[in-house]
Amino acid sequence: MSKIGLIIKREYSTRVKKKSFIIMSILGPLLIVGFLAFTVYLNKKDSNSYKILMVDDAHILNGKIRNNSKEKYELFWAPEDKSYEEAQEILKKDKSFDILLYIPSNITYSKTAKCLYKSIPSTAAQKHLTSIINEAIELYKIEINEIDEEAYRSIKTKINLDVIDIGNAENKNIQRKAYVGYVFAFLIYIFIFMYAVQVMKGVIEEKTNRIVEVIISSVKSFHLMMGKIIGIGLVGFTQFIIWITVITFLSISILLSTSTEKNSLNSDVIQENVITGTNPVLANSNEKIDQISQFLLYEIDWSNMFIFFAIYFIGGYLIYGSLMAAIGSAVNEETDTQQFMIPLTIPLIFSLTMIPHVIDNPSSSTAFWLSEIPFTSPLIMMVRIAMGIGEGGVELWEIILSIFLLFTTFVFCTWISGKIYKTGILLYGKKPSYRDIYKWIKS
Amino acid sequence: MPRKNIIELNGVNKSYQNFKALNNLNLKIPKGKIFGLLGPNGAGKTTLIRILNQILIPDSGEVLFNGEKLNQKNIINIGYLPEERGLYRKMKIGNQAMYLAQLKGLSKKEAKDRLDYWFDKFEISNWWNKKIEDLSKGMAQKIQFIVTILHDPDLLILDEPFSGLDPVNSKLIKKEIQELKKKKTTIILSTHDMNSVEEICDEAAIIHNSNKILQGKVSDLKDQFQTNQWKISYKGSNMAFTNAIWGGWKLISHETINDINTAIIELNEKLSMNDFLKGIIEKISIIEVKKNTPSMQDVFLKATTNE
Repeated sequence: MSKIGLIIKREYSTRVKKKSFIIMSILGPLLIVGFLAFTVYLNKKDSNSYKILMVDDAHILNGKIRNNSKEKYELFWAPEDKSYEEAQEILKKDKSFDILLYIPSNITYSKTAKCLYKSIPSTAAQKHLTSIINEAIELYKIEINEIDEEAYRSIKTKINLDVIDIGNAENKNIQRKAYVGYVFAFLIYIFIFMYAVQVMKGVIEEKTNRIVEVIISSVKSFHLMMGKIIGIGLVGFTQFIIWITVITFLSISILLSTSTEKNSLNSDVIQENVITGTNPVLANSNEKIDQISQFLLYEIDWSNMFIFFAIYFIGGYLIYGSLMAAIGSAVNEETDTQQFMIPLTIPLIFSLTMIPHVIDNPSSSTAFWLSEIPFTSPLIMMVRIAMGIGEGGVELWEIILSIFLLFTTFVFCTWISGKIYKTGILLYGKKPSYRDIYKWIKS
Repeated sequence: MPRKNIIELNGVNKSYQNFKALNNLNLKIPKGKIFGLLGPNGAGKTTLIRILNQILIPDSGEVLFNGEKLNQKNIINIGYLPEERGLYRKMKIGNQAMYLAQLKGLSKKEAKDRLDYWFDKFEISNWWNKKIEDLSKGMAQKIQFIVTILHDPDLLILDEPFSGLDPVNSKLIKKEIQELKKKKTTIILSTHDMNSVEEICDEAAIIHNSNKILQGKVSDLKDQFQTNQWKISYKGSNMAFTNAIWGGWKLISHETINDINTAIIELNEKLSMNDFLKGIIEKISIIEVKKNTPSMQDVFLKATTNE
């Protein structure tokens, strides 16, 4: 086996045999799926029980309220003789009531009802209450305007907006797809961070252990650095494959088990959430689960996602890994790394924060440049690729250019890092300044 | 005819930014000898050793190994024990010894066979599955020594090999070094422990301020710094001793322990020890007269501080 092969093998085998790797391989996906499941559970639990005291000074709502979610929203009319103030007292004293919904006498002009609460109701609950009041007032208005209710119902429409690319009809609802890209970008972010930092720690370990001098008397320092980066990168890849396998398995089991549960959410709310994608965790209805399954199974090009994940993870990791190796070689202990780490973490965190903007404006020049600049492209391009490749989506040439820039930058970063590493690894004592490092690169 | 020198450095220069670590260094290291590489801290020894290990490349000059330009192929011919010892603390000893041996170029089988031999020889076979963090510093040093010599290098570079070792282990390592010399291995011993140099080195060089200031056989170096100093132990009056002869000598030191006086004197060229003794022999009772030969410590101090 070649020497670099031996180094890769050591880096890989010592790490995958570690207890922490095995624990993280199981715990990571469990935590992710568990967290999602827990959020779904909390959401379900939260949206279950509101006991609402109604005071209608306008006297227009009684009989017109269509509460199609009676299990969650129990409505109680306050006695006619109770004023708004008295009702407030009831809400305060009677522990069983959660909300006081007050319809003032001038509601048709003021267009404002009041919702008094003990603990703040969820936005879904607020939307539900608004929608039932709206509907009731509309019914009141058609009554006084002598409009036929049937006619009103047929006029009232709720539409879904399918956003379709004219050049490619397959490119439907691309912003929704972008969230899958978001997940992949987030995984790249986690993995680059986790494993590039491991490269840095490994280099510091060899330097402080002083074993590095023994090793570089047998192999070139550049080979040691590359062996370490590649070995640890393979560990990251292994962990990713384990995570994806476990997450897929767990998700399928959860989807199958929850698909039998009853729908208890207001369909309007679900519809809105699906369209805007604001709350994908509200996946607790048959319809919703079916929609998600359909979406995930048929609308997402998984092979593309995995291929580009591999490319952008490798490229991004190699860039950040080599720079982290250089940092590790320059310092004497981990606490010294802070000053050098900041310039590296900023582009990654910046990319993450820019993703919502890119999803909103996938064709903007910000989206273009961030997906081309090698320090941000691994995250941003994943989001754009998820939205579709080709006409209307990200153009193939953009991807090729971005990959070309990514790997060219990798070669450049590795060259610089190799120079820093070669000198830094043998120097002990004083923490180097940026100026010292510049001199090492020049020498 | 086989070459006499395993290493030849011709006009080697090495600078770091504003600091010159080696200045036009010429050095020949003879084959099959134990060669002491001496010098104060910061003299350039570590730079020289790193150049021999191809960790650093000289700015100019040439380094020959067995008459050929030093190259990557020579890695297998050189064993290196750095001053700052280090092994992976959490990796099993057997695995890391195998790893380091394979990096030197041994096959897996060769590495295993040789490690079994050395672990048996040092009676540490039960350490194979232990970790370095479970061992004492001295024990770890034994492992490091084995790893250094495992691939039977022609040239062994040992940087302070005895530091941190107890006398028993120190003796064990010295014995192994002598054994290796018998097998024609050349050993470069970089150390500040001058007793070890006297004990086991055949030749030595002193590097000071990036320059080689001395080189030769250990006995020749000591001769070179020979002075006409004598140690005389005697019983009797100090006054009688000091009044014996008026000129031609000077007293370097004098001390009295349990009625026995010991004087160190230096004679000038005109006065012989015989003449000196003639002057004092009737007034005192001489116990011992011995020529004071310089130790390597003296040679080192004189050479590097111009004392």
